[in-house]
Amino acid sequence: MSAVRGSNGAKLILRGGRVVDPTQGLDAIRDVLIEHGRIARIADGIAANEAPGAAELDLRGAIVAPGFIDPHVHLREPGQTHKETITSGTAAAVAGGFTAVAAMPNTIPALDTPELIRTVIERARAAALARVYPIAAITQGRAGKELAPYNLLVKAGAVAFSDDGSTVDDARVLRRAALYARDLAAPFISHCEEASLRAGGLMNEGETSARLGIGGSPRLAEDLIVARDLLIAGDTRKRWHIAHLSTGRGLELVKWARSQGIDATCEVTPHHLVFTDALFAGFTARGRVCPPLRTQEDVAALRAGVRDGSVDVLATDHAPHTASDKSGPLSETAVGFTGLEIAVGAYAYALPDLPLERLVVLCSTNVAKLLNVEGGTLAPGSIADVTVLRDEPWVVDPDAFHSKGKSTPFAGMKLPRRAIATIVGGALVYDGMGREPLVMRAHENGRTITTTEAGTR
Amino acid sequence: MAPRNLLDLDDVSAEELVALLDRAEAFHRDPSPRRALAGIPVVNLFFEPSTRTHTSFAIAEQRLGAEVVTIDPSDSSMVKGESIADTAITLAAMGVGGIVVRHKESGFPYVLARSFPGHVVNAGDGTHAHPTQALLDLLTLRQEFGRITGLRVAIVGDIAHSRVARSNIHGLRALGAETILVGPPTLLPDAMAQEGVSVERDLDAVLPKVDAVMLLRIQRERLDSALVPSVAAYAADYQLNARRLGLLRDGAIVMHPGPYNRGVELTDDVLDFPGCRYVNQVANGVFVRMAVLEALCS
Repeated sequence: MSAVRGSNGAKLILRGGRVVDPTQGLDAIRDVLIEHGRIARIADGIAANEAPGAAELDLRGAIVAPGFIDPHVHLREPGQTHKETITSGTAAAVAGGFTAVAAMPNTIPALDTPELIRTVIERARAAALARVYPIAAITQGRAGKELAPYNLLVKAGAVAFSDDGSTVDDARVLRRAALYARDLAAPFISHCEEASLRAGGLMNEGETSARLGIGGSPRLAEDLIVARDLLIAGDTRKRWHIAHLSTGRGLELVKWARSQGIDATCEVTPHHLVFTDALFAGFTARGRVCPPLRTQEDVAALRAGVRDGSVDVLATDHAPHTASDKSGPLSETAVGFTGLEIAVGAYAYALPDLPLERLVVLCSTNVAKLLNVEGGTLAPGSIADVTVLRDEPWVVDPDAFHSKGKSTPFAGMKLPRRAIATIVGGALVYDGMGREPLVMRAHENGRTITTTEAGTR
Repeated sequence: MAPRNLLDLDDVSAEELVALLDRAEAFHRDPSPRRALAGIPVVNLFFEPSTRTHTSFAIAEQRLGAEVVTIDPSDSSMVKGESIADTAITLAAMGVGGIVVRHKESGFPYVLARSFPGHVVNAGDGTHAHPTQALLDLLTLRQEFGRITGLRVAIVGDIAHSRVARSNIHGLRALGAETILVGPPTLLPDAMAQEGVSVERDLDAVLPKVDAVMLLRIQRERLDSALVPSVAAYAADYQLNARRLGLLRDGAIVMHPGPYNRGVELTDDVLDFPGCRYVNQVANGVFVRMAVLEALCS
């Protein structure tokens, strides 16, 4: 299942970082010893002679956390490799501090067969950057009609099911799908937009759309499907996850569902935590995303949900498009933003007061639980997937992205935090510390993406 | 006027509006041909069918001496997949100085203007803006009342889908008039209210209070998409007819951007009403378009 094998035989000491791992109640300056692709020991000082031959990273002033996992990205392969490939997408992931991503199945063709799931896993393994966990379609071809072969898909390596990008409009189909897949741990993930209300809406329906004369999609379109799918989750007793919540009411519905014992979780994206529909002034395409950017009221409610724990995980909904896809009249522009390389900065920008241990829970621990994958902890013996961050302001320059997608409303903004190193299975796969990269036996078979390499692209 | 384009009235100052209206009034008094746009190719690019606006622009351009070029987008390369940006660059390379554009999508002229180095005039974009229509409405009001400041103007009907209403709201606000929007909640969201602009549902209560009533065309497709129950129901609530004309105060006028639907938003009584200014509006269209083109292009 994992895209990057452990680095057998290699040793690495992460020196002097602030190690934040809520699973061990740990938030202190510590050294971390990695051996054979696993966390060997965390201690207040590890002598070099304890691990002869180990490479070392000086991480004083940095934050060292269990590897961040993005549960919602679009890697576009197969079928739309002009927008992104598994290699470019996972390069973006590790450059953004993510050791793993869950890839949505709205590729061409859709990921609805075991062969396609295996292909994605194999290509990710060849890229040897971030781990890639494929999400399989709920319905064949994401057409909303016929069920996908859930058991075979899980055996092939799928970690969840979603028709993301589309809502399964037919409640009967969705209910039967959930019943068939009920006993699988892999959750269903809902994209929530009621078709008749969304209609041709290009942005949030509200004051701004009324002023601009742009057809809107109301918050009701999302809230209705959030409610419907949570009720189907309760009815079928299927594990359920609501993707990219954009409304305050949607979050209230998730809380209500949990109060009823429904096994439901939800995620929020960086753009829904920062921007509103005001971004549409001047008719630029930079605000177009589904579900749409809402209002200040929704942004405040979602931020509060992240702080108080009612939001379970953070997710970028990384949706790369070419520059020409994102230009032209609004109705013809592609939907979504590239997100992997702004995420950790954007989370800190949106929630400057969010305790680090909460951030780690939202970006790592809870995501590993959601997807039933390794990671989410730095406990000794666990896989050595490590995210290293530093609190330092930087200005978002999409031309420097590893992703092929350069469109983000965060372009030009100053964000307060960034990823400076990413370790997957003990291998340093991203080194953004601005010096010569370490040469390590650890990843002879792998690749290290460096800032130098990024600069020459 | 310093701006390069006329895309809407929301970024035109009160002083600029008054200057445009003054200039249009001068053209009204002396409609003889001018040379302000002599030798400048101006392209009329109408993606949506239009008789009055298109003709009005063409006459205005000719009267200013422009080289008028009409492109029918239905048989141009734009339908073959050429992007707007490519079209804009191509037209600029041919020396085109101005483009007058109408499109069914809100914001289309803004996208065009980002790629076109010359001047863009919005001749109506989707449900967003129709700034020259609003200018001709403002000119009609000023001719009638000698001022716009302090007037109370009702705009009645399908505000949600009306580019005419949106541009008029900007213009009336800028010049100090009070606007009352009237229509059912499906065609007039509460969110349209703002400073100087109120939302009312009862037309009979509004009519005695206003100096002018602007009626809007209600399109057949609105009737077919569950926005209003029926023509009869809409007419009962919002049609201007003989009875409602009787509610108007003395001297009040009625306007309509055309084309109108008899039996829907108005009856023949309105067209026969002495205060109906429909014909004056159409005549003023040429003069305000001359004023806009002259201000932008010369």
